[in-house]
Amino acid sequence: MLLEFFTDPILRAPTIGSMLMCLSSALIGCLVFLQRRSLVGEALSHAAYPGIVASVVLAALLFPMWEGGFAVTLLVGAACTSLLGLFVISWMEKKLKIYPDSALCFVLSLFFGVGVLLASRLQFTHTLWFRKVQIYLFGQAATMVDAHIFLYGILSLVVLVSLLLLYHFLKTLYFDPTFATCSGMPIKRIEGCVTLLLVLAIIVGMRSVGVVLMSAMLIAPAAAARQWTKSLATFLLLAALLGMTAAFFGTALSLWIPGWTHAPSLALPTGPMIVLTAAAISFLSLLFAPKQGMVTRLIRLGRFRLRRRQENILKSLYKGKCEPLSATETWMLERKGWMAKGSLTREGRREAEKLIRLHRLWEVYLVHMGQAKERVHHSAEEMEHLLTSDMEKELQKLLDHPRVDPHSQPIPKGEGP
Amino acid sequence: MNPYSGKAFLDFFPLFFHRLFALLTGRLSYHKLASDEVQVYVLTLIALAAVLVGTLLVVKKMTMLANALSHTVLLGIVLAYLVLHAGAKGPLPISFPLLVLAALITGGLTTFLTQGIHQGMKLQEDASIGLVFSTLFALGIVLVTLYTRNAHIGLEVVMGNADALHLDDLKTALKVTLFTAFFVLILFKEWRLICFDPPLAKALGFRPQLFNYLLMLLASCVAISAFRAVGVILFLAFLVGLPLTARMFSYRLSTLLLWGGVLGFCTSLLAVATSRHFLTAFQMPLSTSGLCVCYIGLFFLLSLPCRPLLLKRFSP
Repeated sequence: MLLEFFTDPILRAPTIGSMLMCLSSALIGCLVFLQRRSLVGEALSHAAYPGIVASVVLAALLFPMWEGGFAVTLLVGAACTSLLGLFVISWMEKKLKIYPDSALCFVLSLFFGVGVLLASRLQFTHTLWFRKVQIYLFGQAATMVDAHIFLYGILSLVVLVSLLLLYHFLKTLYFDPTFATCSGMPIKRIEGCVTLLLVLAIIVGMRSVGVVLMSAMLIAPAAAARQWTKSLATFLLLAALLGMTAAFFGTALSLWIPGWTHAPSLALPTGPMIVLTAAAISFLSLLFAPKQGMVTRLIRLGRFRLRRRQENILKSLYKGKCEPLSATETWMLERKGWMAKGSLTREGRREAEKLIRLHRLWEVYLVHMGQAKERVHHSAEEMEHLLTSDMEKELQKLLDHPRVDPHSQPIPKGEGP
Repeated sequence: MNPYSGKAFLDFFPLFFHRLFALLTGRLSYHKLASDEVQVYVLTLIALAAVLVGTLLVVKKMTMLANALSHTVLLGIVLAYLVLHAGAKGPLPISFPLLVLAALITGGLTTFLTQGIHQGMKLQEDASIGLVFSTLFALGIVLVTLYTRNAHIGLEVVMGNADALHLDDLKTALKVTLFTAFFVLILFKEWRLICFDPPLAKALGFRPQLFNYLLMLLASCVAISAFRAVGVILFLAFLVGLPLTARMFSYRLSTLLLWGGVLGFCTSLLAVATSRHFLTAFQMPLSTSGLCVCYIGLFFLLSLPCRPLLLKRFSP
């Protein structure tokens, strides 16, 4: 059923076309994500709109019959105004000292407003052209044909190849900018290349995602992929993969949903569906990715809190100043093997001694570092749960195996030398 | 019969001011306002509200949140509409409860999701703003498409429809503008403090976070009243473009607000007059909101060469 999307002559072009478009936008999205300028894409994609309107008119006058010429003119027109927008933004930032975000918003609304004005001129007199312009607002993959795959395939290839050529420069530039500056890298030129690639990715993606939502396809795959990896190569590959998955299921959903809602004539725009799929992937990654995911982090935190509580109960039992334990608390300690039949086991005693040893060692260490001895208790109360046995050995060596803590309490001896 | 039909660009202004004078002196009942006049007044009111909020947003460097709002407002309105008028058919009535509910949903969702993803899920700020507003916007589009069974929502979402404005819209716009003006002007001292010296504000016991929430709420109110009348793009242009233009030649918060308001009025008046002129002279209907955006751009360009002169004149 899924394979049908790649073989069926009508479904083939939209599916493969959308996937190619999202591939290039996901890759370039990673770069702007690392530059922390994800929102530039938002302004540039909106700035492409007047170019689209103007070139639809131009193409309709120049090549009324030739679909390929139409598509190329459109891409060129969109790129022109997008670049103009980019130029205005950087001019406003540098010459007028306007805060980057404000400049972005201003250019976005200005260019998009001009585009809409031009479109409103076409609305009633040239309905056919107006519909062609409308496609690019929210994207429409369904009407793509095989010629589009060819065109967008070439452009995606250009993005891919330039990225491969730039890969080593980018790696140095993003992870060690100081070194990049010192080694005399042409930083300005590399950043210019990245911006050009961004414009290219945007105009490639517009057909399936639309100008309004284009920025999401730059951000979402990168944000999702970043949660799973720290290496640049994996980051790029994963983002590309996720972007293509989102494109595939988004296109498929925009065909399936009208069927489910018993309105087969309804053509859902592909852009929002692709964006929603991509966003779902990013939210799942943000929640469940190992190490950085929110849920995994909360579970780790919960585990630590539980252990701290158990260890605190154990310690007070050992010291003999403990309130009667509740049933759950006894059960928790028995499960750990620290308690049996109402008293501490050997294991439990050893663990408690270790905690007290770590606590008092840390107090000695803090006093050694120059802290007042009245103030070290609270810090030690935390650190006793965190110190590892390697750190304990280091401390013992550094402090020369102390026997008493700053409050003249004995430090229990550990096992071994 | 619309007294403006058949008027060219330059004939528009004498008639407009003549009728405005008649309106103010009570010789013209406000029920007899022509649609061009309603457009000018609604646009001006929304521009005033947007300038009040936008100036604060620009000074506080929170413009990207305004952009986010201009996208999420669609979902806010759709959800509020589904809650209040689930079964109703026909055009979308903007009642006051709907407006408030939609503003709360819009502002709340945008602010809390953005903050939650930035702080709770540790995603960098620009990406979390972008992710949140585009997702919510996509959701809004899908809901509207499914609910209205119409795949051709296009320009009305981004541009509104200024030609369909009537007296009810004028009343809504007036309420929103007064509401915004009340909160901005009554707390003017506090806003000034929070914009320009946040550490001092904190030390004096103000809570900047609370003011940020208030600002977002006000901005979403303006966004919603602008949504149907002028579209979200013009909302954004008013919100960011006018304060930035005023910023070119004034350094005080009060002059910024004043100049923003004046520019807003000029923009609205010129845009409606131009739209009328094109209709009269070329039978060409143009989007009034689109013209407004162009005039804002034009004013910004004009302010650049005049900058040194104006600075000396108005901000000694």
